[in-house]
Amino acid sequence: MMHGDGAMRFLQRTVTLFAVGLSLAATAALAEPNPERDAYFGETHIHTSWSVDAWVMGNRITGPDDALKYAQGATIKHPLGFDIKIDTPLDFMGVTDHSEYVGVTREANTPGSAVSKLPEAQPLIMQDPNSPADQNKVFSYLLSLTSKPPIKAFMSPQVAGTVWKDNVRIADEENKPGKFTAFCSYEYTSQYNNRNLHRNVFFRDCAKVPEMPYSSLDSWHPEDLWKWMDTQRKAGNELLAISHNANVSDGWMYPTDVDSFGRPIDAAWAASRDRNERLVEIKQGKGQSETHPLLSPTDEFAGYELYEALLGLPADVGRIDRITGSYGRQALKDGIAMQDVRGYNPYRFGMAGGSDSHNTGSPYRQDNFFGLHGDADGSVDRRFAGVLIGGTMDVRLENPGGLTGVWAEENTRASLWDAMYRKETFGVSGPHIKVRFFGGWSYGKDLVDAGDWVKQAYAGGVPMGADLPPMPAGGKGMAPTFALWAVKDPTSANLDRIQVIKGWTQNGQSFEKIFDVAWAGDRKPEKWSGRVPAVQSTVDLETATYTNSVGATELKAVWADPEFDPSLHAFYYVRVLEIPTPRWTLIQSVKSGLPPPDTVPLTGQERAWSSPIWYTPSAEARRAAPAGTTVADLQKKGAKALTGAQLKALVVGKAFWLRNDVTGEQFSQSFTEAGQMNVFRVGRNDVMPSAFGNVERSGYQGTTTAYGIEGGKLVVPVAQEPYSFTFYKLGDTYYAARSNEFGFANYEIIPAPRFAVNPLDEMMNRFSTELALTEPQRQQILPILKQEIAQLQALKKDTSLGAVAKVEKLRAIGVSFDEKLKPLVSPDQLQKFEALREQLRRRMIDEMAAKAGQKVESGVSAAVADVHNAF
Amino acid sequence: MKRLLHEPLVHFLLIGVVLFGAYGLTRDGSSASAPSHEIRLSVDEIAQLVVLFRSQWRREPTADELQRMVETKVQAEILYREALAMGLDKDDEIVKRRMAQKMQFLSEDVTAAREPASTELEAWFEQHRDLFAQPPRLSFRHLYFSPDRRGDRARADATQALAKLAGQPEDSAIAGTLADPFMFQDYYRDRAPDFLGKEFGPPFALAVVKLAPGSWQGPVESGFGWHLVFVDTVVPGRVPPFAEIEPDVKLAWLGEQKKVAWDTAYRDLRARYTVLLPAPPDDVTPAAGIPAADAPVAAGANAADGGAR
Repeated sequence: MMHGDGAMRFLQRTVTLFAVGLSLAATAALAEPNPERDAYFGETHIHTSWSVDAWVMGNRITGPDDALKYAQGATIKHPLGFDIKIDTPLDFMGVTDHSEYVGVTREANTPGSAVSKLPEAQPLIMQDPNSPADQNKVFSYLLSLTSKPPIKAFMSPQVAGTVWKDNVRIADEENKPGKFTAFCSYEYTSQYNNRNLHRNVFFRDCAKVPEMPYSSLDSWHPEDLWKWMDTQRKAGNELLAISHNANVSDGWMYPTDVDSFGRPIDAAWAASRDRNERLVEIKQGKGQSETHPLLSPTDEFAGYELYEALLGLPADVGRIDRITGSYGRQALKDGIAMQDVRGYNPYRFGMAGGSDSHNTGSPYRQDNFFGLHGDADGSVDRRFAGVLIGGTMDVRLENPGGLTGVWAEENTRASLWDAMYRKETFGVSGPHIKVRFFGGWSYGKDLVDAGDWVKQAYAGGVPMGADLPPMPAGGKGMAPTFALWAVKDPTSANLDRIQVIKGWTQNGQSFEKIFDVAWAGDRKPEKWSGRVPAVQSTVDLETATYTNSVGATELKAVWADPEFDPSLHAFYYVRVLEIPTPRWTLIQSVKSGLPPPDTVPLTGQERAWSSPIWYTPSAEARRAAPAGTTVADLQKKGAKALTGAQLKALVVGKAFWLRNDVTGEQFSQSFTEAGQMNVFRVGRNDVMPSAFGNVERSGYQGTTTAYGIEGGKLVVPVAQEPYSFTFYKLGDTYYAARSNEFGFANYEIIPAPRFAVNPLDEMMNRFSTELALTEPQRQQILPILKQEIAQLQALKKDTSLGAVAKVEKLRAIGVSFDEKLKPLVSPDQLQKFEALREQLRRRMIDEMAAKAGQKVESGVSAAVADVHNAF
Repeated sequence: MKRLLHEPLVHFLLIGVVLFGAYGLTRDGSSASAPSHEIRLSVDEIAQLVVLFRSQWRREPTADELQRMVETKVQAEILYREALAMGLDKDDEIVKRRMAQKMQFLSEDVTAAREPASTELEAWFEQHRDLFAQPPRLSFRHLYFSPDRRGDRARADATQALAKLAGQPEDSAIAGTLADPFMFQDYYRDRAPDFLGKEFGPPFALAVVKLAPGSWQGPVESGFGWHLVFVDTVVPGRVPPFAEIEPDVKLAWLGEQKKVAWDTAYRDLRARYTVLLPAPPDDVTPAAGIPAADAPVAAGANAADGGAR
């Protein structure tokens, strides 16, 4: 099954010849639109010599027409002069040259030109245009320009005016409905203070584009871009923006508190963003922006193609790209938390992918990687040398670009654009992996085996990018069902697995969990984590080859969320992984005889990401969620915030147990006199809220974090983010509110728990602590608890009962327990017990019911067993 | 600097500026004279400002905004005239380049304005038939043998199934019982090889194009596994008759006319000029001299020509 050799490549080229030959005969009748939609793959981010920075980096010959021809299979020249050709021709492309300073570098380097005489242009002039050092200097200056107020002298309509019109004309010439779509598009390049806030803007109809695109020279604030987009839309010119490289935005791509003007984020801001920024580029040549290992410590695939940098930062300036606010998954989580607490969600985006190549053409395969930035990374030795483009862009970290997959009725501008706007899109890391994802309430488990399953899936639910329909009336105990399907790229590696990534929120905290849903081979999920073990790697490091002797060509499943809680906001998206293949660095090491760079992995797993499907609880369902405690609630009850001195006395040189009241997890924290802290006793399967970093690892390894007490807050940073706790005292209890939890005080200092040696003791301990039971009460309650646990265990083993009957039985057991307990405790204790009891019972019923509706084993049985044991 | 002098583009621009001078003379009747001190804006010109504003902001400009636009226009006009008076247009590269570009567009537009006769187009089409060749199109049914389900046996199973299908028609009742469900379509109608290359991988497309129609054949490997294929119809590759694709021919003809017209126009212009270049210094190697400047840069070891696996 080995493939990808020279012969194969030759065959590929021969086939694409047909495609190019056809391109002149554009009158071929349009195929009937397919209501079940087809996957179209395209490039939504590419630069040509028309972009100022591309010109500097040596791309001086090829323009947008060449880019569009390359996409269709034609051979073009790399800026260094060698031929480049795409592996599999694309279905669509939008050329996205920078709208800023178009053509300026070219003019500056023309001796005697007006631009060349401007003082501002002097740093743009290259003494030797072929000298890498000169190029680097000019590129850095260009990047710095985009961070500064616009230079009016460069904005001459003589220079910039006709370029946009030419761009539109070329798109029209190459647009062939039904065969190949060329969009009118450009890049808005806001780079304030080295923070990448770039957006690619796509127009639906080239006949309606404006005279000039809105650029960051007009304003670097994305909010102003949206305002302009709104104006265009109102006038009938439909358009959308795709943000990219959140990973190098220094945390500015996804703010939760203030916008780029420093104004508080509000519903209007969220609506404006949602209306205009429909998609994000989840992966491109400069890394992925899905997530980071520090944000997703339980995601073993998070450490993929990381690219942390501040573009254009002078090499001697000490600033580090921030992780928080720079990744899409966390933004999706923050978005639903904001929806829940504040009533609006700015982050309801879908997935796209692009290359951001500055070479007019881009590679999309590891075995075809020729760099992205002209001569700066156009040769193997330069790529391997770890050259820093513009001071910070390490070329070894680059990778072949991603692509955008679109589910559309036909290959036309309107059909593709509409699909992008409704977010029925997915991003791929390069290979044309096809992925379908539907959500509904009643998909049967055999749905995906039916010949017409796609039709049924559309009829019975929603595709990726949409909101789940409301839960059917009387749906208590139901869980949403999802239909998932992925097919490999026929010219790339087999598939390893399909995963569902779920995010949910409660009381200002947000959470994520990854479910392996379908996988190749007969691997069994690991017993205690529920995770499917890694697929065997077939990569031969000596020859940089792999075989498709493992993995699957197609994976599919119907999956129900086994942990569904109808009262909580949630989202679900799909990630598809290929089996491991050699990274370009390894392939080129074998070919060139140079050792591969040891700063990057030797292999990787190509992948696809679907747009999410969101679940919004009805108002009634939402009321069933525990209300939680806000800072305002505490203050109303008379709680006082601790002063700096009080906090110091409580914390410094002390250790104590903290309970997360949302999850019930308890963990110990130690704070040394010298200002170091450590969180201890967090387990692999504990559900940690967002942005705690990898506390499981640092607890196990005993590594510490510097903490501080500043302005009456306990500051415990994660990476560079100064997360803080504000402590409140109410009666004898200390509560704490974490700075990123939207006004909730979710933590409570608790007495050191007594270590339970069996479930009974554990439950008894919990009751003793929370209800403050006296010793005689303990003695009386213990036998009742024992009896209930026996009953529950019998119930669990009873296979004769259906799901509904089980839930009924469970209620009966609970009621009987309540009746026995009542005479033994005080009214105050009873009230506390009922609150605790209701919370646990509701969870258990929901989980049991959801479990009955699905077949996936994964980690659920362990989770349900825990709840059972708790009683 | 020396490099630039050798660059053909610069030479071209030098010619452009001469033409610019001539054009300027015919328009104004004078050049580099004292500027007129009257600026007259017509209703049309002001209306154009409003139209421009509207297209950008999708609303009417306020009185203030209109005032500012007029002032900007006036300023541009004043500075333009003063600049001409001072001779700033001389030897300015931007001006040269824009004017040269305008020349090119003008010559191209002249061609575009001409409506070709149908007979002329047809004659041209006959000379360029290759440009309009359409690839073959196939219709076929296939049976899929999945490595997901059959592992290494997929190919052998397909070979066995083929034996059972010998002499069977395309819609043979036993066909469906032999193979596995396929993730896309079981029947493809009227598809070109480029589509099949994307759907199944290029080797499959090339193999199927070569199959004789009318019987079950294979096994053929795709990126997904093994297939038995029954091609029922082949529409051979062809060049469509002129009448069918006249609009396409016209488009291609126009593209070529533009290029030819421009080449001719420029050749004529070029013929009127003598260009003197400094003699190459002795120490200049061919790589830095004129002959090699136009030669393509060798790909050499720099090309990332793929890491074949």
